Amino acid sequence: MSRFAEFDFFQWATFVMALLSMTLGAGIVAYLFWEGGPFIWNQGSQFLLGLDWFPGEEYGAAPMIFGSTAVTILALVFSTPLALASAIYTSEFLDPRRRLTVKGIMEILAGVPGIVYGLLGVSLLSVWVRDVFNLIDGYTLLSASFLLAIMILPTIMTLSEDAIHSTPSEHRQAASGLGLSKMEVLFSVALPHATPGIAGAILLAIGRAMGETIAVMLVIGGLDRIPEPWFDVFSSGQSIASKLGREAAETLGFGEHWSALMALALILFFLVMFLTAFGNWLIKGFRK
Amino acid sequence: MVQKIKSFKFVLYWTCLFIFLFSSVPVNAKETSLRVAGSTTVLPIVSRAAEKFKIEHPDISVTVNAGGSGVGFSSVADNRVDIGMMSRKISEKEFKKYNNLEFKVHTLGRDGVACVVSSEIYSAGITTLSKKQIRDIYSGKIKNWKELGGPDKKIVVVDKERHRGTRHAFIHYVFGNPTARARGARLVSGSNNEEQAKIAQSDSAIGMLSQAWINKDVVGVALLHEGKKIEPSIENIQSGIYPISRDLDIVTQKSISSSAQLFIEFLLGPEVQPIIEKSGYVPIR
Amino acid sequence: MTRIQKEKLFSGTLAFLTLFACSILAFILFAVFSRGLSALSWEFISSEATDFGSKGGILYQIFGTLLLMFASISICLPIALGTALYQTEYLKSSVWKKAFKIFMASLNGMPTIVLGLAGYLFFGKFLGIGVSWLTGALILAAMILPTAHAAILEAIETLPEHYQETSISLGLKPNQRILAVVIPHSVYGIVTGALLGLARAGGETAAIMFTATAFSGVSIPQSITEPVATLQTHILVLAQEATNPTALANAWGAASVLLGIVFFLILGAKAVRSRLSWEPEQ
Repeated sequence: MSRFAEFDFFQWATFVMALLSMTLGAGIVAYLFWEGGPFIWNQGSQFLLGLDWFPGEEYGAAPMIFGSTAVTILALVFSTPLALASAIYTSEFLDPRRRLTVKGIMEILAGVPGIVYGLLGVSLLSVWVRDVFNLIDGYTLLSASFLLAIMILPTIMTLSEDAIHSTPSEHRQAASGLGLSKMEVLFSVALPHATPGIAGAILLAIGRAMGETIAVMLVIGGLDRIPEPWFDVFSSGQSIASKLGREAAETLGFGEHWSALMALALILFFLVMFLTAFGNWLIKGFRK
Repeated sequence: MVQKIKSFKFVLYWTCLFIFLFSSVPVNAKETSLRVAGSTTVLPIVSRAAEKFKIEHPDISVTVNAGGSGVGFSSVADNRVDIGMMSRKISEKEFKKYNNLEFKVHTLGRDGVACVVSSEIYSAGITTLSKKQIRDIYSGKIKNWKELGGPDKKIVVVDKERHRGTRHAFIHYVFGNPTARARGARLVSGSNNEEQAKIAQSDSAIGMLSQAWINKDVVGVALLHEGKKIEPSIENIQSGIYPISRDLDIVTQKSISSSAQLFIEFLLGPEVQPIIEKSGYVPIR
Repeated sequence: MTRIQKEKLFSGTLAFLTLFACSILAFILFAVFSRGLSALSWEFISSEATDFGSKGGILYQIFGTLLLMFASISICLPIALGTALYQTEYLKSSVWKKAFKIFMASLNGMPTIVLGLAGYLFFGKFLGIGVSWLTGALILAAMILPTAHAAILEAIETLPEHYQETSISLGLKPNQRILAVVIPHSVYGIVTGALLGLARAGGETAAIMFTATAFSGVSIPQSITEPVATLQTHILVLAQEATNPTALANAWGAASVLLGIVFFLILGAKAVRSRLSWEPEQ
């Protein structure tokens, strides 16, 4: 056989594909650093803590960082109890067929496109929020966090359910052998066992909530300002992703304004990556 | 052997696909697609004109995108589009950012920017506002319609994104500086449609809008200008009495393709004048 | 309160909350379809949009969404499959295996709007494709790469150990092994990954709104440098006219079609995957 026969085309081809996907991931991260990094470095606290965003004059990211954080935390507050309750019920009280049905419903819910949530938000939710809370208008941080709460519900529910369900049956049997009821088994064995997995699920959900653009952009109000007082969730705000969505087309490509937007993107990326990595680590650490 | 042939086929298939996909990347020789983007105020004119244009020139397709005047300019400067739509002049900063390029501006028509309020406020008696009153509302000094003799309702102050042409004209009139900050703002909107929808959804909002977008839910108030009440009507804009007006422009780089030239000539020609009028603006030819 | 009563109350509350969580989907379906179905008609689906989308149909929008979906999956699938095969069949170094995981995770965690903007700068500007459906398809391909990759990788990694052992003992070379064992037996995983990727691509708006689409004047693109109209961006524009009843009706109609497409793909993926897990071991 000649040397040519030894040449493994598949090795070569799959290597090229693998290289492609690696460069893709690495390239985008490198670009963010290259474009946004110097801007954060040069502007420092003026950028991170600045309260005013005015292209061409000053770039203060604090309102956007605040907005992203605020809507994400609120979304978690609304979503987590509901998600955990259904995760527990699905895992502990439902027969296998119903369990698969509920999980299937959650999977479909996870697939609803962001723009559909946006449309629901603009034409229904913002009007309800205004009328129910008797506000002057319904484009608020609260409305955005309601939408996000629904969007991250399947993520938290599905992953926590996996975590609770995977409690080894010997542990359960041992506990119920001691005469504990289902609820007591749950609290003394299953939940402690699943805690890291649940924490991981929540962190992944945070990552998803922070990166969501379209739905948030349509209902958050678009105002680059930290509310006064800061906990006033009934006022409008701006998240990082929504800021990028609204302003990027204006300066696509280069210039100071673009660097500032990429610096925002870099911050967003860091927040999301950190939380996702931490979340994945928790889930994995618990599977072992 | 069979395996080898299979693998060969598999690889061949994808290679062909990729060659097909990437070989056609260079611009087609008989490229006849024109791109336009920018101001949502100018968009209806260009979009409707493009439909007419297509009947005469079926070989040239014109795609139109929104975004706002700032997007219109930067897209042209960046070669993202052939023609940019702007409802304001190119600013100093924008010229400076692209100081190595030259631009050509053509004016299609004129438009007035109305100060608009929700219909509930208008029918409750707020039919005229002075420059000072609008300034106080936008800077956050006046927070309730009651202070202006209206109903006891908080004012929903709707601002626009800063690069928008409508905002430039309006804020320039109100604050004397086209990029002034509006501290009293409650919401910030983008396109004319979005601004219109937000004001119409509310029963106590104030905003800025091209007068062509005024309807029964979103009513333009008269401006108290130099002691006179001036309605934002086509006649007042045409005669120049109404104080907030601007040109509706299209902007291109200095050298453009022949098809872009053809479309611009069409836009400036007689067939588009009725479209401008029908869209609610003032034709200038 | 006795222990049993407590237990009953607890499980009752949980049952109620679970029902509530599931009813959210029912609510969304009802909200969209009850408004959208009245707008849906053969004419709506088969005619082009006029008057800035507030009249007419969504023919080219459907076409654009489907075009972006299928173009992106055909770009993504070979890359995802190749990467997964390289990782499992050739790569030995555990450091690099870890590196692959990290890069896939960072691609997965990348907010789609950032992916869209960076992708536009590279494909649209640097490679000169401009705002076009191909740029959009390439960006979407990058976006769904982690989804498709994860599904394929899972299918390959869960292959029974003895398949590989047998093929090695038969003296098969890696390429023969891939063709004879790995690909045929993980085909369900590949199909699942493709369907989930398609569903994600179809539901995405932020990544393509600046990079692949145009607002009006779009028909079937004549070359790869032309933009398309999509259902997602169409809904985005119409949603901002939330007070114009005909525009809003069209937005609900378009949303119904989009939801229909996405759900069809997800349910397809579920069906394929459940067949995968039932596949009897030989």
